[in-house]
Amino acid sequence: MRILRIVQARSLAGAVLVPVAAVVLALASVAVLLMLIGADPAEAFGSMFQASLGDPHALSTTVTKAVPRLVAALGIAVAIRAGLWNIGAEGQIYMGGVAATAVVLFAPELPFPLIPLLAIAAAIIAGAAWGAIPGALRAWRGVNEVITSLMLVYVAVQISRYMLEVPWAIPGATFPSTEPFGSYARLPILVPATLLNLGAVLAVIAAIAAWYLVDRTRFGLNLRAVGGNPRASGFLGIRVKWMIFAVMAISGAFAGLAGSIEVLGVRGRLIEGFSQAYGFEAIAVALLGRLHPAGIVGAALLFGALDAGGAGLQTAARGVSSSIVQIAAGLSVGYVLVGLGIQEKFRERRRASEALADTERTHGVEAAGGSSEASR
Amino acid sequence: MDQDFLALLLVAAVTLAGPLLIAALGELISETAGVINIQLEGMMLAGAFSGVAGALLTQNIALAFLAAIGGGLAVAALHGIACFWFRANQIVSGITLNILVLGTTTFLLVSAMGADVTQSVVRVERIAIPVLADIPVIGQALFNQNIVVYLAMLGVPLTWWMLDRTPFGLALRAAGERPEAAESLGIDVHRVRWAALAICGALAGIGGGLLTLGGLGFFTPGVTAGRGFIALAAVVFGRWRPFGALAAVLLFSVVDAFQIRAQTLGFPVPYQLLVALPYLVTIIALAGLVTRMRPPSALGVNYER
Repeated sequence: MRILRIVQARSLAGAVLVPVAAVVLALASVAVLLMLIGADPAEAFGSMFQASLGDPHALSTTVTKAVPRLVAALGIAVAIRAGLWNIGAEGQIYMGGVAATAVVLFAPELPFPLIPLLAIAAAIIAGAAWGAIPGALRAWRGVNEVITSLMLVYVAVQISRYMLEVPWAIPGATFPSTEPFGSYARLPILVPATLLNLGAVLAVIAAIAAWYLVDRTRFGLNLRAVGGNPRASGFLGIRVKWMIFAVMAISGAFAGLAGSIEVLGVRGRLIEGFSQAYGFEAIAVALLGRLHPAGIVGAALLFGALDAGGAGLQTAARGVSSSIVQIAAGLSVGYVLVGLGIQEKFRERRRASEALADTERTHGVEAAGGSSEASR
Repeated sequence: MDQDFLALLLVAAVTLAGPLLIAALGELISETAGVINIQLEGMMLAGAFSGVAGALLTQNIALAFLAAIGGGLAVAALHGIACFWFRANQIVSGITLNILVLGTTTFLLVSAMGADVTQSVVRVERIAIPVLADIPVIGQALFNQNIVVYLAMLGVPLTWWMLDRTPFGLALRAAGERPEAAESLGIDVHRVRWAALAICGALAGIGGGLLTLGGLGFFTPGVTAGRGFIALAAVVFGRWRPFGALAAVLLFSVVDAFQIRAQTLGFPVPYQLLVALPYLVTIIALAGLVTRMRPPSALGVNYER
């Protein structure tokens, strides 16, 4: 209940105004940071704009960088709406990437849509399995899913490294990766001379599916009931433990899909470190998007643009781009939290003064002490 | 040979345990008062970074640790402002701060400091305690450590005494179990929680500083590699008791030390899977060995007057 009250929008102001204001403030803060390291913020933002939105290729870079964060964030939001914290999306992305690669490497060359379809299915299953482990531990052992889902990130990263450095290693290669996949196994480019691939379409489908699942199905109703009040849901006949298990698996499935899109669509091969903290930034994307698929699409595009734009920075040293995304992500969610806190205080004060006015009208000023009861 | 292996294993284990133990004690104190710090990782990372930065700027190890404390405290202050002033959910705030600290330290490392921070810096020296350090097997591990590790060891009984035997400890427990009742007894819950959070930030900062200033001697992005989360797990696995946290930290550290030794000795197991071992052990420990967990009743719940 408390989680939802804090992170989910209850009014238009909460849904749109607060996040937009928070993003503007966060970008202003990034500008100050850029000034501190001696960059001209106007020039920096100019080149960031050029590299993220300036032409079709830049735009496609933004979308491509938004997609993994978007898809993983959808899963994280589904979990949060059931009151669960899937902090381990990064690991589920890695498992998805590894599973998709395994299909490509072991299956024969088949006509186009078959291999990507099989690979994506494998990735979804692998991500779901990796998310189901903390789900099961939470449901039946009472272990906090925050810690276990995160520990599994480190395990997944090591599994990916092992696959790349031992069974799939290319002798003499300087950086661990597989050979590039054949075009039969990749997600095709949609617009020539850009990076835009079929993964973007899959992401949109995933967003619609997430919305439909949570807001339009019986399962989604039960899911939200568990997020609102697990005890009461139990009395209503919802099997809460199975629900926790299923939701964490679904949450992981989205992240697994994100991993397969990154491997099959963007990289065209499995490469060490192919997810650069996408799964962690996706948590911020989910929160900034206020857990709604539409908001999540917006937040993911913002972070995608920042990532694409950061690479266009003149002063960019290695690693600045991704760190700017993380700073902007952290700051914008932080400002959202502050904004919601302020909003809540105002709402309370208004309610208190209305109650006070009410009491004064009916009982005279003497009874005004009763207003404290009505305020909360 | 066997005795040698064991002695070296223990030296490595205690060295690895130091940062974890300090952070875990801080988190234990904070959770006792009802404040959960998912950003323990971020506090350690900030301490690891500012400790190295402080060492580079001052060339003085004491000032470097002060800087590390400052880094941890800064993250604690942001958590307190978000949760106590603006009533943010503690888990949301913690997750957000982890992302923010990871981004900020990487940004500062890459852009403001250039390659300087990856340079080696002054490190805290080991002090061998005469006679005791010569005890076979355990001597080197326990009695040839740096001053911060010695203080961490003393911190375990000290934390127990503080929590169980002092009025401040009672106030902490009251704030974490029944904040309304505590307030009615004249305990200022907000002030007590701020104090607990500050202690946690300072200790996690020292823990992070010990990681870079005690062992590595340099900073890399994300250098804490999940140690803050392992410390969080240690508090749970230790059932919110100081000696329990110590036992949990030692378990994880022995496993970690074992996997490092196993790598150097060339065990016929892929090193990638060995690296994953401490994280797996953490999960198994939480899943299998914890029979009854009872966190403080008001853990993670903001107190509103």
